[in-house]
Amino acid sequence: MPTMPKRVKYRKAQKGRIRGNATRGNTVAFGDFGLQALEPGMVHARHIEAGRVAAAHFMQREGRIYIRIFPHKPVSRKPLETRMGKGKGEPEFWTAIVKPGTVMFEIGGVNEDVAKAAFLRIAHKMPVKTRFVTRRHGV
Amino acid sequence: MEITRIEGEQRTPGNRHANERLRARGLVPAVIYGHGQPPETVALSRHDLELALSHTAHVVALRAGGRETQYLVKDVQYDHLHKTPIHVDLMRFDANERVQVKVPIELRGTPKGSQEGGTLVHILTDLEVECLVTQIPERLRVAVDHLGMNESVHVRDIALPAGVQTLHRADDIVAIVHPPRGTTAEELAPSEAAEGPAEPEVIAKGKEEKEGEEGGE
Repeated sequence: MPTMPKRVKYRKAQKGRIRGNATRGNTVAFGDFGLQALEPGMVHARHIEAGRVAAAHFMQREGRIYIRIFPHKPVSRKPLETRMGKGKGEPEFWTAIVKPGTVMFEIGGVNEDVAKAAFLRIAHKMPVKTRFVTRRHGV
Repeated sequence: MEITRIEGEQRTPGNRHANERLRARGLVPAVIYGHGQPPETVALSRHDLELALSHTAHVVALRAGGRETQYLVKDVQYDHLHKTPIHVDLMRFDANERVQVKVPIELRGTPKGSQEGGTLVHILTDLEVECLVTQIPERLRVAVDHLGMNESVHVRDIALPAGVQTLHRADDIVAIVHPPRGTTAEELAPSEAAEGPAEPEVIAKGKEEKEGEEGGE
């Protein structure tokens, strides 16, 4: 389901800029395989939901999907045919800010071929370039 | 235990740009420390290092300055994509010294519960162990084929080689078979939130939100 925060301190947020690379959330932490973003971008709640549904449909209740990003940021839009000014528009949708390196989805409990095929379906729904990653063992 | 040989060279400690120049030459900056001696800075061949890390080598033989010495790989830093090593910590060790390392856990077999629709979730993928350097196991194999639904394997069930002790609690779960959470139809159904204009609750701070006045002048 398209997710959004339950409670927020402020309804509207400033646009901001996405700078730098991911220094957190850039490792496979829960599953065995992951889908990692290679470029910065805004992954909307509906992208995340579309990816989840595509993977769930493909995997047919096999394995487990972990969603590592959450749409925390409200994006507002002005209505059509509105003159400039008169304040900021109303929140339109929610988005997750993704930096290069962020592991967005993870899959566990299936073999690599199934995970790759599921991630391919998710990747088609994502607005950023991605790559398939596997868990790296510690030393 | 497999010991991989890594070619390296001495380097003088430099700033970020010096390290970037090293990386451009196919080398990885590294530091050697331990045993109360002053730290040394070296550069390792990235090709050799990646080969060693792909075999989860804990001990490497570094050939630098005409001599070969064995070190324990203590830490590896990767780039933001977790793809290329950018720095390595090597530690001096003694053959009679016990060291703490992480050993990968490999699950063997297909659980019985998986055939009934359950999902095998691998929770603990690396086991932290303490042992002599010569006794470091390459990996720990755990059989999971006997696991039914809602059954789990714990750290106490792992057969450790002689002289190897784990630093985890015996009750820690290694893997568990979870029952299916919902039907496929439920998972695939779009939520009500998709249609509804539901908005999150705003944590009230006294000031009432004013709706924007739309329209022309």
